[in-house]
Amino acid sequence: MDRDVLRAEVKALLAEGLRLELAPADIPDDSPIFGDGLGLDSIDALELVVLVEERFQVSIPDEEIGKRAFASVAALVEFIAAERGT
Amino acid sequence: MPTSGAREVAITGLGAVTALGPDVRTLAAGLIEGRCAIGPLTLFSHAGRCRIAAEVPEAIAMPLATIAPATARRLSRADRFAVAASAEACRDAGLDEALRRGAALAVGATTGGMRETEEAYRRRRAGEDRRFRLGRMLGTALSTSAAAVSQALGIFGPRATFSTACSSSALAIAAAVETIRAGRTPLALAVGTDQLCRLTYAGFDALQALDPEPCRPFDGRRRGLSLGEGAAALVLEDAAHARARGARVHALVLGHGTATDAHHPTAPHPAGAGAVAALRAALADAGVSPERIDYVNAHGSGTPQNDAVEVAVLRTVLGRRLPWVPVSSTKSQLGHTLGAAGAIEAVVTVRALADGIVPPTVNLRAPDPAWADLDLATTPGRRAALEVAVTSSYGFGGHNVTLVLARAGVR
Repeated sequence: MDRDVLRAEVKALLAEGLRLELAPADIPDDSPIFGDGLGLDSIDALELVVLVEERFQVSIPDEEIGKRAFASVAALVEFIAAERGT
Repeated sequence: MPTSGAREVAITGLGAVTALGPDVRTLAAGLIEGRCAIGPLTLFSHAGRCRIAAEVPEAIAMPLATIAPATARRLSRADRFAVAASAEACRDAGLDEALRRGAALAVGATTGGMRETEEAYRRRRAGEDRRFRLGRMLGTALSTSAAAVSQALGIFGPRATFSTACSSSALAIAAAVETIRAGRTPLALAVGTDQLCRLTYAGFDALQALDPEPCRPFDGRRRGLSLGEGAAALVLEDAAHARARGARVHALVLGHGTATDAHHPTAPHPAGAGAVAALRAALADAGVSPERIDYVNAHGSGTPQNDAVEVAVLRTVLGRRLPWVPVSSTKSQLGHTLGAAGAIEAVVTVRALADGIVPPTVNLRAPDPAWADLDLATTPGRRAALEVAVTSSYGFGGHNVTLVLARAGVR
């Protein structure tokens, strides 16, 4: 899948899935998903694992992989692409 | 009267989110004007006998001050109502961060975030979500409102949630009063909150307890209640503490009484045994005789059974004084807000005492002929000098709670 399309899907999932008061386009590519930027907390992290697994048919089995996958939007896009072999 | 030396409990702050508006000011104005906030049910679809409710307008902005954005984003409507009413009450009482810190918190509620939980199930069944979302289920527990309020306002004292059906927040007020009387804290916040949801709406409809028209408490043609939603909060304070810091006292809590029917899951005891006991216990706790009651804010749900039993209870306890005491039902304007009703009606009663105005029973066209001698307060904005008032809340399963309130300065 085209990286730009995948990136847009990931941002839409973040904004809509977590019901953020933020347009998908306003989510930066390279800043951390967790931490101060988007105002997400540990409950959002648990939700996001479910959302990403369900939407993109990938598996995030532990915290170590989660940390890597959710480092930033760009990292998440790469993680999903690699898991799916695209 | 309490023995000398006992702590007197003052009400120094009020907050309310109701179908009449986002704060106590709009509530008080709507009460005086005799506005009825019961209208079409829009929050969810319901196929049944009834399609009306008293909804809190969606447009009401509820500032969530200091709460973390991630937490605020996931709060149920019931939790948002509770936080907004509590913030208003603390502001009204002039409670700064240090005063709020040690306060006790008592919350009454019956269904909490049930509507959001119902939405999670609906999305799951409709295939919109293939797995349950944690963020949609977090408000299910009744205790979340108290957690949200304490987090938003920095309240670190003892905290409890009460769920005794429709008397939940009246009981929360009683518990808060006891915390102050016992000297455990000079300040307590008592809150009631509930939101409309499919569970209660369908349940009351199946019980044939909903009037298809806006409810008509004490009317000869009354057919049931109208459901509502909202929250109210009261800052309760050791009166000596309030005096020492120069706080404005809206009213006093003279006493409270609780008693049980142990009779039926939904119907009141035919003679109102528990309700009579609760009213008598409250008057005894307050140290006032029935002759001193100037106003009764009735439970007044508008069901044929409740109103009949409630008048019988008042006849039993007030006797020959009853025809001279205005009796009204706030539920005719705000609907029955279930777990929030005790606190909302306490706020209404406090304003009645403080403003010298009898809140009306609206929608009442022709009183039940058996009650021709009663003053059912059908005229909006009626002025009267009120010193002592009682407000009663009767919950399903026979949970009866009565509060005795007095105008500031009355002993």
